[in-house]
Amino acid sequence: MSDPLNFSLSFSVPVQKEELYDAIIIGGGPAGLTAGLYLARYKLKTLMIEKAITSGGQLATTEWVENYPGFPQPVLGSKLAADMETQAKNFGLQIVREGVTSVDFSKKVKEVRTDHDVYKAKAILITTGASPRKLGLPGEDEYHGRGVSYCATCDGPFYPDKLLAVVGGGNSALQESLFLARYARELTIIHRRDKFTAEPLLIEKAKANPKIKIQMNKQVTGLDFSNAEERKLILEDVNTSEKSELRVDGLFIFIGEKPNTALFKDILDLKGEFLVTDAHHRTNVEGVYAAGDVEVKEVRQVATAVGDGCEAAHWINEYVENWTE
Amino acid sequence: MPLLNDQTREEVKKVLDTLDKPITLDLYTLQIECGLCKDTHQLLSEIAELTTKITINLHELESENQHADTLKIEKLPAIIIKGEKDYGIRFFGIPAGYEFTSLVAAMLLVSRGELMLKPETKAFLDTLQKPVHIEVITTPTCPFCPGMVVIAHQMAYYSDKVLADMIEISEFPTVANKYHVEGVPRTVINEKIFLDGAAPEDMLVDKIKEALNV
Repeated sequence: MSDPLNFSLSFSVPVQKEELYDAIIIGGGPAGLTAGLYLARYKLKTLMIEKAITSGGQLATTEWVENYPGFPQPVLGSKLAADMETQAKNFGLQIVREGVTSVDFSKKVKEVRTDHDVYKAKAILITTGASPRKLGLPGEDEYHGRGVSYCATCDGPFYPDKLLAVVGGGNSALQESLFLARYARELTIIHRRDKFTAEPLLIEKAKANPKIKIQMNKQVTGLDFSNAEERKLILEDVNTSEKSELRVDGLFIFIGEKPNTALFKDILDLKGEFLVTDAHHRTNVEGVYAAGDVEVKEVRQVATAVGDGCEAAHWINEYVENWTE
Repeated sequence: MPLLNDQTREEVKKVLDTLDKPITLDLYTLQIECGLCKDTHQLLSEIAELTTKITINLHELESENQHADTLKIEKLPAIIIKGEKDYGIRFFGIPAGYEFTSLVAAMLLVSRGELMLKPETKAFLDTLQKPVHIEVITTPTCPFCPGMVVIAHQMAYYSDKVLADMIEISEFPTVANKYHVEGVPRTVINEKIFLDGAAPEDMLVDKIKEALNV
């Protein structure tokens, strides 16, 4: 691991639990952090509840971010996330690091319950984002951490000079392949379509990388990881159904996102597990808003999450200004 | 060159201003052939400068295994975070990157004693008869790792039977081989039971039960 030593702190001041907050933000990725910044600047008493010890969500697991404006040199996802948090905290955003276990949106004052406390607010913003989607293959869970990974920055360094495969064809798959290729002896990108959906720039870089091989129109139909010395993927050609095997040491999966909406399943309108919102980022329950990757939308980028968070903050501010018990 | 930049220093100071009881940091280093011993010492010194509540005891060892038997310290640099007593909260390798937060969390824990463990977890820990050694294997770039480290350290704080280590694995390839580490966090209980990924408290409790056959 060649990164220079860096130290940054994600920590929170103790919060007043009895307080009625103007707004509670559930989830601390780019959408939540941006909304937190704006709400704090609107002088709303705002609390963010983030289950991880560090903010950033999926951004924190991304190595280099090259398409977020304002950074002509690529910026580390972890750094960008930490800086967003610091900026929001500088304006008064409060953060608690607890997992939300249930919510009660049925009354005018909304309640958010964690393992330890109940927090109350006039308005709620859901920015729980999404988690990596799984392939759903037998053995995928069993070998998670032992050959199967969803986080290149976490686990890439464990595969020096090894054979890797990446499943996926979007920006994340290609961006993370370029990162993983630094460690791997050879890396095969497996994609089930005949075209990548990633940006052309990333596709060019991947194609130009001598360590990266590409197999299009292929899907992984099985993992044979029982022998750690000789792990194999079973591939199938989507057109001809022809089967083949691929020797790998590690499999990294970047095939999109599964929204983190289990908490809201029976309370809010969902479409394909994503939260349905209107142009003001309102859900179907008054006073409950959503922003970022968790919403039904087409484009899920840091830049769009930031925009969504900013917009939602605007409408929440208006809602809170007119709020009466 | 300081390791902590001004902004981080200020943030850390704010947190350390809330310390209650004094903290002792026992730092074990090797004089030679220890990659990050000097940096770790510098890091702790920069933190200690920000408060009057932290004392550093530096132990420069002649060999890696000098305290292998008594303190179970066989990897260097090693930090033991002590409050009123040694709770069994240790760091092996430099707590850099995301693990820096785990380090500060451990300091707060021994100084302020604020536990976040669930009542069920405490009830289980109260029943422990045999020692439990939890090793949480991490890298500085893993955002999911501090969560596991903090839970393990809280268990160590709560129970005299629990010893909890953070291991920064890139400094200890022999440990990576021994435990076949291919992903982090990887949590090892009593050197035999493994838990992969950022798992909730209950799952760690289940794995401890498995390790103890209870």
